[in-house]
Amino acid sequence: MGHLQRGTRNPAEKKEIQIDRSSPDNLSGSPAPATEVRAFTRARSHIGFRLPGFRLRTITEAYLFLLPSFIGLVVFLLLPIIAIAVLSLFNWGLISPPEFIGLENYNTLIHSQVVWHSLFVTICYVLLNIPSQTILALLLALLMNRKLPGIKIFRVIFVIPWMATPVAMGIVWQWILGPQYGSLNTFLALFGIHGPAWLSSLGWALPSVAAVNVWQYVGYSMLFFLAGLQGIPEYLYEAARIDGATPVRTFFQITLPLLNPTLFFVLVTNIIGSFQIFDTVFVMTQGGPEQNTNTLNFMIYREAFQYFHTGYAAALAMLLFVIIAFITLLQALYFRKRTVYDLS
Amino acid sequence: MASIDAGFQLKEGVHKSTKKSKNILRRMPTRVILYAILILGSIVSLFPYWIALVTSLKPSRLLYVGASWSFPTSPTLQNYSQALTQYAFPSFLLHTIIFAVIATAGQLIFSTFAAYAFARMEFPGRETIFWLYLATLMVPNIVTLIPLFILMRMLGWVNTYFGLAGPYVLGTPYGIFLMRQFFRSIPQDLESSARIEGAGTFGVLRLIILPLSRPIFATLAITTFVSAWNNFLWPLIITNTTDLRVLTVAIAAFQSNYGAQWNLMMAATFIALGPLLVLFFLFQKHIVRSIQLSGFK
Repeated sequence: MGHLQRGTRNPAEKKEIQIDRSSPDNLSGSPAPATEVRAFTRARSHIGFRLPGFRLRTITEAYLFLLPSFIGLVVFLLLPIIAIAVLSLFNWGLISPPEFIGLENYNTLIHSQVVWHSLFVTICYVLLNIPSQTILALLLALLMNRKLPGIKIFRVIFVIPWMATPVAMGIVWQWILGPQYGSLNTFLALFGIHGPAWLSSLGWALPSVAAVNVWQYVGYSMLFFLAGLQGIPEYLYEAARIDGATPVRTFFQITLPLLNPTLFFVLVTNIIGSFQIFDTVFVMTQGGPEQNTNTLNFMIYREAFQYFHTGYAAALAMLLFVIIAFITLLQALYFRKRTVYDLS
Repeated sequence: MASIDAGFQLKEGVHKSTKKSKNILRRMPTRVILYAILILGSIVSLFPYWIALVTSLKPSRLLYVGASWSFPTSPTLQNYSQALTQYAFPSFLLHTIIFAVIATAGQLIFSTFAAYAFARMEFPGRETIFWLYLATLMVPNIVTLIPLFILMRMLGWVNTYFGLAGPYVLGTPYGIFLMRQFFRSIPQDLESSARIEGAGTFGVLRLIILPLSRPIFATLAITTFVSAWNNFLWPLIITNTTDLRVLTVAIAAFQSNYGAQWNLMMAATFIALGPLLVLFFLFQKHIVRSIQLSGFK
């Protein structure tokens, strides 16, 4: 058997490792008898080594590799979920001992005007944010997919907002959306339009927050769509062209169905993220004016960490969780019928 | 129109050259419109950075002079020096960097091992556990953060790096997902030949996987670093003094005190935004790739 060269880092050199052909176990020129082939394939499926006890060793190794990450998963993700469910049945101000109150938190929540308003605000926010962001990203991706010279520079520029610290950007946008000296209103004034006080207006506050979020993530979504578009084979478009299909028809009958996996991924992740909007609300509006940007996530934060109604906040958090899970499930069902999934 | 174009493209010869020049002329307005859209999009994308930079360079007396987006006639660095000397922004920067480095290191180490197990090793429950990881992506942050806070409080880890970085140091499902996809794209022959030569799993990792994985490591490192840098909710919950305060929390606190001094505020925000811009330009290839890689299921 040959020896592995220790200390070489060049992967190209690795390819020169010769498979030992002198051993009768390895396939040589003439076809091997069936029993040998079966033995060989079994060996291959265990990554080419046939020592007894190897399989047990691989399994132990695998679990060891998985262990630290899995501990993290259990302690920081799974256990807290159970904890939150339990916590929602208590009344706990953290200073005094917890007090079991059963489903009373849920009862309070169902009858609370503030909660229903918050739900309404959250759903409005998602409806303002997701469709506009998705459509815009898709259109931009279609634009980017053309072979225009210099397109790569624009692709990079559109992704820059994605990396911006939301808290910092929230403050910058606050300055831009300022009622008197803000850039937006100054710009609109050039056209004779008198812009409102965006963030303190009852009607415009939530759309403004949504717009900031769209600004931040359009480029990110666009890149996904672009990758999806580039996976569509060219001959399909040519066939459509020869058949005389209009661009619109081509889009809806060829492009969009083939983009379904990408669309599913983008929608699911964006909607989940959208329900958890926090930073921009905290910094730009603090839930105001008059609770009109009081999204559920922000409300939960306030209940838990400003008023220390941890049990009540836990119940609200469970509500948010259930809503997100339900919507994700709906999307999965919708897209499952329309896509063939290869989760290999 | 499109099919007529296709028809002409199929024909060779003289028609092609005259049609081509006419096509370019007809395409001109479309191209102009497209580029106009792209330029408009670029302005919108970059404008907030521009305004933050420009405002941060204005002394207070010039703040409301002229258009808000104009470059100051006499720019000054005094806002930055104020933020960096009078208010503890250097220490906030340091805390943020330490937090981000710990989270990134942990992610690179532990997610690599787990991802390799998912990608190349066979063990009972592999698919189930992997789906479990994926399912946690559906759980809203606040659901886990409330009990985690209570736990940290009981452990006495509030206002410590243990508390701050703890939930992140063992890696995240996203990191595992990304790495696993990449590992699966490495040809199994390389690993097989190494195994035949007698290499154990660590050998395979060290000599084959690791050298080939440098791009994905760079990508994952950047994404994790930026994610930690931008993290607001958890640091807000777990730190309540300036001992360990990170940039995001510092900026929010700054705003409640000096919100009206926009030039000072913009300097503070640019201290958070600036380094990420630099990182972006250094590694934009990897960043773009990370977004595209995570889209392929």
